[in-house]
Amino acid sequence: MSGNNSQFARLRRRCSAACRTLSKAHYSKQRRRPVNVSQSPNTIEDEMMDEDVYLEETLIKYEEDEEALILLGDEAVASRLSKWKRPSLPPQQFSQNIVFQQLEIDYIIGDSNKELLPNSSGPAAILRIFGVTKEGHSVCCHVHGFEPYFYFSCPAEMGPDAISRFQQTLEGRMRESNRNSNVLRFIRRIELVQKKSIMYYQQCQSQPFLKIVVALPTMVASCRGILERGIQIEGLGLKSFMTYESNILFALRFMIDCNIVGGNWIEVPAGKYKKTARSMSYCQIELECLYSDLVSHVPEGEYSKMAPFRILSFDIECAGRKGLFPEPTHDPVIQIANLVTLQGEDCPLIRNVMTLKSCSPIVGVDVMSFDTEKKVLLAWRDFIQKVDPDIIIGYNICKFDLPYLMERAEALKIAEFPILGRVRNSRVRMRDTTFSSRQYGVRESKEVTIEGRVQFDLLQAMQRDYKLSSYSLNSVSAHFLSEQKEDVHHSIISDLQNGSPETRRRLAVYCLKDAYLPQRLLDKLMYIYNYVEMARSIKVLSQLLRKARQKNLVIPNFKGQVSGQDTFEGATVLEAKAGFYEKPIATLDFASLYPSIMMAYNLCYCTLVTPVNARELNLPADSVNKTPSGELFVKSDLQKGILPEILEELLAARKRAKADLKEAKDPLEKAVLDGRQLALKISANSVYGFTGASIGQLPCLEISSSVTSYGRQMIEHTKKLVEERFTTTGGYDHNAEVVYGDTDSVMVQFGVPSVEAAMKLGREAADYISRTFTKPIKLEFEKVYYPYLLISKKRYAGLYWTNPDKFDKMDTKGIETVRRDNCLLVKNLVTECLNKLLIDRDVPGAVQYVKNTISDLLMNRMDLSLLVITKGLTKTGDDYAVKAAHVELAERMRKRDAATAPNVGDRVPYVIIKAAKGAKAYEKSEDPIYVLENNIPIDPQYYLENQISKPLLRIFEPILKNASKELLQGSHTRAMSISTPSTGGLMKFAKKQLGCLGCKALLSNADQTLCKHCKGREAELYSKTVANVRELEMLFGRLWTQCQECQGSLHQDVLCTSRDCPIFYRRKKAQKDMAEAKTQLDRWNF
Amino acid sequence: MAKQRRRMPADIVEPKVDQRTMLMMWRPGQAKARMMLRAAEPSIGGSQNWRARFSFLEEEEEELELPAARRWMALKMKKETAEEGTREGEDERYEIHGERYKGQQYSQIYFTRLHHMRNLLSSVTPKWKPHVPVNTVLELEAGKECIIIGTIYKHMKLKPCVLDEYSKERSVVPLVRPHNFMHPDDYLVLEDDSGRVKLTGELVSPSTFVTGIVLALHGKETGGGEFLVQDILEAGLPPQIERPHDSREDKYVVFVSGLNVGSDTFNPLQFQLLVDHVTGHLGDENEQEIASQIVRLVIAGNSVEISQCLLTGQNIASKDHAKLSEPIKELDILLTQLAAAMPVDIMPGSNDPANFSLPQQPLHRCLFPGASVYNTFLSCTNPHEFELDGARFLGTSGQNIEDLDKYSDAKSKLEFMERTLRWRHLAPTAPNTLGCYPYTDKDPFLLESCPHVYFVGNQHKYETSVLQGPDKQLVRLISIPRFCETGVAIMLNLRSFECHVLSFSTNLDS
Repeated sequence: MSGNNSQFARLRRRCSAACRTLSKAHYSKQRRRPVNVSQSPNTIEDEMMDEDVYLEETLIKYEEDEEALILLGDEAVASRLSKWKRPSLPPQQFSQNIVFQQLEIDYIIGDSNKELLPNSSGPAAILRIFGVTKEGHSVCCHVHGFEPYFYFSCPAEMGPDAISRFQQTLEGRMRESNRNSNVLRFIRRIELVQKKSIMYYQQCQSQPFLKIVVALPTMVASCRGILERGIQIEGLGLKSFMTYESNILFALRFMIDCNIVGGNWIEVPAGKYKKTARSMSYCQIELECLYSDLVSHVPEGEYSKMAPFRILSFDIECAGRKGLFPEPTHDPVIQIANLVTLQGEDCPLIRNVMTLKSCSPIVGVDVMSFDTEKKVLLAWRDFIQKVDPDIIIGYNICKFDLPYLMERAEALKIAEFPILGRVRNSRVRMRDTTFSSRQYGVRESKEVTIEGRVQFDLLQAMQRDYKLSSYSLNSVSAHFLSEQKEDVHHSIISDLQNGSPETRRRLAVYCLKDAYLPQRLLDKLMYIYNYVEMARSIKVLSQLLRKARQKNLVIPNFKGQVSGQDTFEGATVLEAKAGFYEKPIATLDFASLYPSIMMAYNLCYCTLVTPVNARELNLPADSVNKTPSGELFVKSDLQKGILPEILEELLAARKRAKADLKEAKDPLEKAVLDGRQLALKISANSVYGFTGASIGQLPCLEISSSVTSYGRQMIEHTKKLVEERFTTTGGYDHNAEVVYGDTDSVMVQFGVPSVEAAMKLGREAADYISRTFTKPIKLEFEKVYYPYLLISKKRYAGLYWTNPDKFDKMDTKGIETVRRDNCLLVKNLVTECLNKLLIDRDVPGAVQYVKNTISDLLMNRMDLSLLVITKGLTKTGDDYAVKAAHVELAERMRKRDAATAPNVGDRVPYVIIKAAKGAKAYEKSEDPIYVLENNIPIDPQYYLENQISKPLLRIFEPILKNASKELLQGSHTRAMSISTPSTGGLMKFAKKQLGCLGCKALLSNADQTLCKHCKGREAELYSKTVANVRELEMLFGRLWTQCQECQGSLHQDVLCTSRDCPIFYRRKKAQKDMAEAKTQLDRWNF
Repeated sequence: MAKQRRRMPADIVEPKVDQRTMLMMWRPGQAKARMMLRAAEPSIGGSQNWRARFSFLEEEEEELELPAARRWMALKMKKETAEEGTREGEDERYEIHGERYKGQQYSQIYFTRLHHMRNLLSSVTPKWKPHVPVNTVLELEAGKECIIIGTIYKHMKLKPCVLDEYSKERSVVPLVRPHNFMHPDDYLVLEDDSGRVKLTGELVSPSTFVTGIVLALHGKETGGGEFLVQDILEAGLPPQIERPHDSREDKYVVFVSGLNVGSDTFNPLQFQLLVDHVTGHLGDENEQEIASQIVRLVIAGNSVEISQCLLTGQNIASKDHAKLSEPIKELDILLTQLAAAMPVDIMPGSNDPANFSLPQQPLHRCLFPGASVYNTFLSCTNPHEFELDGARFLGTSGQNIEDLDKYSDAKSKLEFMERTLRWRHLAPTAPNTLGCYPYTDKDPFLLESCPHVYFVGNQHKYETSVLQGPDKQLVRLISIPRFCETGVAIMLNLRSFECHVLSFSTNLDS
């Protein structure tokens, strides 16, 4: 390693956890998954802690960065730059109010600004807000004067003098624990304030609290530590304190105090700001101002719109070595495809690709070719600087593309590469993380922070928000965009690169598509809108903090007070009366049950009465609610809870958003509103979860267990009322029966035969029962299931009706229709059976279908792709304690051909083949392609017993009497056909002899087709042979033309090897079967 | 082998005809006497005169006697011997010998097509647009006018896709198979071996063009990576070989298609009437005279229909064996009668027991143990090409036109036929939406010369017209309706290229 290395090492030391407004959700998600747990002790903490980054003067000094522009030599650069640049500023820009939508807020430590803050000196935290104006100009706003602080409760004995003495003691202790710091004064000041703790109902209005203002954000934590561990106070002895609001990230603190919510618009009035004297960023508008001068706009009306962000979607290609996953230390980056889109526009603004070595042109794409990898990388850096994207998206960029680029630059010793952020000459920060997930296994990787630009990885978003059987870009785009993507195996990439300009062009087209799809997904799923909306409202903690601030309440720092074992009873599920219901089942739902319970019974931190307090306060019985779980909460006339208030606001806002959504006509506006109402719903529902999360920020199990106990009570109550009222004695035609009840819904069979009648009774029951509940708890009638197949708790299927004329859809819960561990056959079989049972109402038809399928399976007529099971290879073989089928197979494949064998992180598809008796299950796995090529017989018994029998029996047991016997042991299971493998074993000694096509009798003369007994059946037998050929030809044509279509070229051969594609194996099989059938047909040429 | 199939020594012409066939052949009058016969429904193109000659009343109907039949046979034999040695199948280009599925893909056939057509088009472009350079898609530069030659790809929203089978949800309403898959959002793309470009402009209407044709386009690239088309050049009608103008007597070729023997719509009697009529067993002397001038009968596909459920690959019960072969036997009997009397060409169609991909190979002669012993019987490929009296015939069983109808739009089937000629490609949508053998070195559907008669079987109704080309090409286009639905056969006069309709009805009420 050389001199550059020290630079990188320093960068890594200063690793960050800058607070990001947009990507926060992804941080919290990471904590929930088993990511980072194994590595170092500071992992979880790390994410939530402030990290002071010092502004390094050496880096800010003006360098002639223009000279580094690699593209300047190019002739076309002028036109490119004009295309890339942001619109230029109007001349009077700096005399006007500046309004911009903020995207990211972080802070750095710099010298406090003498002009704005004449009274302070020394290092201070300066907040940086990055954003975009509605004209598309980039903004970097430096906010001064906001100081980090927290509270602790002031002991009653402490007077003003004691406080100042205490401040000195604390200052001393701080100096001890922060020896290296060059800060002059650690504790800026201590103020005495009147506040109230949010915890428990208190009759007094407020208590004295001490607000400690410290110099730098990281000092909050160290000061908190000192206070929690205990501090010597004159006259009181060693005393430890509980701190309040001491675990809030600095940037969040700032946002709460200034009423800034994620992605909202901020205005800096003219005259209140200064243009920075020495620009520190690449932003067009750079300001300095005081935090008190910021105007934060509520995201409504004009300010609910989006600024024209620049979104860069990119993808890189690396030339890996055969059989190995690309490693940045060895394998070059050969192409980078970029797509820049302005938020709100349909067409990309810029489409280009940077390639190593020449590449033939592509229509509509700016192809830039370079002869060295260094130039490719630097060209990309220049591109980023000039285009100045606000958001960088891609597929798996956070874990692969970005770290790879950084490490590759490091390996090539290009020190000037990682200047990608918006801060002038500051290098991208990278830190080591260990990433472990079920899909990718344990992989050491780096996390990259690009200052001022938000990274949004579609892969992470997909994994978080959707349950899919595979998260490859191919299957995700097939799922959401109904588009199959050509998949070029990474072993081919090097070959394409080493070919001609034409083959590199091929690769570039592929690379561009990979860059294009994330953008399409982003648009399709409205991620930008949903994300901004989510960022605005979702965090319960920030909601709570904002509300508490209004109410003069403070929130204690409760870390680790509740042990993990301390759980409470969950939601009730009423006993499921399994069966196939052929009469309509009405479903009564509680509308947002948990939020309404919290509102109805005023459940909150500040209304909770502890048993001790209850005795002391001696509250009148009618002003307290005792919950079914035995907790006491005061009613709202004594003290209105904060959580109910938050919930009311959220639900009211959601109602407004929904009403507006109905009115809205513009699709964009609709998208915004829909994203908003969804975010509000999620927020409302997450309040309950917040109180119950035992490792959360402010757990309060008294609240959450009360909520669920009320929920249970209500379900039981509903069941009781329905069954009491709707009876024949009560004047109704039938006795109603509750067949099942889930967390917030109750399924009732009223006994009436028509959907319409069931709907009427459902509505009546909902109204009647709602009246018995405290407001705003409300029972709603929503839908009728008819017919309804109830298998067990949380497992059911039915047709979903909301109007009596026609059903809306088929609804299934907990039934194997999407599980990724099963082969496709299971899914198809289950879906088709449910269709036949529920939609066609054809029980015998469904049974026959199952029998035919089983027969096809046994007779080896099954499409192989339906039998492929896929599992992710997360570790290498040695790391697995038990032998697993897919791991063993990967090993075997490596021995056959290392280049195409699956690597760690790949998904391994396999089928179960017939093997010697007593062979272990893991020995029976085989590569589907290998099976196809060598005619290896599959093991139908395995599929019958281990894959399809359970799900099938589950469905059919409520319907058929002897389901298992009928379906799995009938006469259809007696005929079997096993293909003869073409390799290995006895086949080496076998001699092939032709048989009669009619009766399989051996023929002595090879020219004959039929034996003499079958001679008369020529026409019939020929028709059958030719029918087989017909079918295969039809399939062959459809499959191969489809692949041409996905590939997007008629004149070039299909290369795709996407094993995720449902027709990949079918295509191969069709090709092989076709050749065989043709040979059979040719035997007729006599 | 193919030769053997086509010709048998003349002395074994004496057929092995079974009892029933004999009966029908020689005593047809008795079987039909009570039937009202309405022949020669002259729709389009039929002359009044023709109607008069073919319509006859019940009273006039005479019992056919052996002498009459003999006379007819004599006439016939004379013609036959005169013709001996002149009749040759010319389907070599559509025959697949020794070709195998060895992992080849469809790209080669497109490549060959493009290569051939580009040579052809680029020889014309200097005359079409002098001074405009011919570029590849790769060489396009924004704003610069040029000509590009390439294969059209039509992006279609509604095009059925094999991947749909895997889509998650079965929709509530059962899928209605639309007759036509066009959608206003469809657009065209031109592809050559260097790349693709999206086409824009008023001229390129996606409804007329289909995937697979090769065109030369004049225009320029717009900034957005699209190609604005200003003019289109199609290859146009291929050159036609002039027909020798020796004086000719009237000779007729009869076209029939869609017999669908074995289907519910098949009426045995109706077809028997046709057989009897063309073999001269019906009608007066005039009619027999005309019938004797029939030199060929072409069956353009879909002759039998075998119930699909018998062919699923599952073993079928022995009682169903007969069900499977019954329609074929019946067809064989009818063909035997025809082949005994005149040369018969039978082409396979989409429902016949033949392969599916184009070109369809001849129906196997083991299906026709009766008819195949005649040297007059010819089982041929689809497409089928032959020459009679110097006139070139080309036709298909209809798949090519049916597919164009699904993916593009025209006023009539004849317009589709005309387009295939102008595009110089018999089946442009193959292999994209029309099954096709993956050729590696040729594209047999390219039209190198213009036929004189171009026919297409299995259409909804009978239509005909004469297409005139710029180089004095004259083509008779015929759309042959399905016989089982319409009872119509088409008769073409070889001398004048005029078409007449033979219409048969067994409906007593009308």
